[in-house]
Amino acid sequence: MSDAINVDALSDGGRAALERLILSLADSKRLMGIRYSDWILGSPSVETGIATSSMTQDEWGHARLLYAMLKQLDIDPVPIEHDRTAEAYANLSALDEPFEDWAALVASMVIVDGALSVALDAFSEGAFAPARQRVPKMLAEERFHVSLGVAWFRRLAAASEEARALLRAATDRQLPAALVWLAADDESSRELVELGVMPPPESLTTAFRASVRDVLAEGDADVNAYFDAAGPASDWDSTRGRAPGQPDADSVDRARGAKNRALFVE
Amino acid sequence: MIEITYDVFARKNRGDQLSHVGYVDALDDETAKVHAWTTYSEENWFEMCVVQRSQIIPVNRDDGPFVKARGGPE
Repeated sequence: MSDAINVDALSDGGRAALERLILSLADSKRLMGIRYSDWILGSPSVETGIATSSMTQDEWGHARLLYAMLKQLDIDPVPIEHDRTAEAYANLSALDEPFEDWAALVASMVIVDGALSVALDAFSEGAFAPARQRVPKMLAEERFHVSLGVAWFRRLAAASEEARALLRAATDRQLPAALVWLAADDESSRELVELGVMPPPESLTTAFRASVRDVLAEGDADVNAYFDAAGPASDWDSTRGRAPGQPDADSVDRARGAKNRALFVE
Repeated sequence: MIEITYDVFARKNRGDQLSHVGYVDALDDETAKVHAWTTYSEENWFEMCVVQRSQIIPVNRDDGPFVKARGGPE
């Protein structure tokens, strides 16, 4: 593990790259929590609903810890969490819209939450000290998310034709988005590699492939084709570090606490 | 949906007795662990275990949930 970077000595480019990474991770975690929360009362069993509720809490807790890391860059996280509009969100694009069926949520546990964990794992081993300290606990909690996602993915892949079709459709939507996000190779990404904060994108996509290939192979999607084609996107939004688009308005209202602003006490 | 019943055992502190705290239904061992940990989250458990109900061997009764899980009468 390399020496920790001195954040105060970072160039403007280095600071911007680190800010973008933290925001992308934090926004993705917040949206992931909202997507899980949509299924607390719609899951296939009471126990699964409770697990989904627990994962919602985990994701929001992770988001809170990640937003707080912005303080290291002298950025107040409160307006970041509560005042930004949808077009400023830096989340992984597969989280932009609610998941319409249980199969899509299951796929997101494996693919989207899995991609986030790969990125967080790398972040925890990089040169940004707060990530080294705080991310390992997040990853420990994520083990449960993976277990649930993998078991359900396998169950659906072995179920009816309808279930397999839904799983394939979700994989076809989510996997390319996750790979584009992990494979980003723009100026900010290269800056983070140079600083030792993150590994090269090929390392991330390789780690991701190793972590999900066995379970995804049980579905009908041509997973290898997606991984073989993994690389930077031509329409990448380098300001936010994500593909074009934005999360739906209702989810952003929920993320910002729009209905409770009169009670806001931070 | 076919689910399996698992009984959940836990202890709060090292040295405490392992106690039966409840049960969960789950797809398999891995999801049973997730369901148990998230369902019985009221304590900061030192240790938690799950066991398939059908693997529990009744000793002195020939009725009840553990007998039923092994194919006997309820």
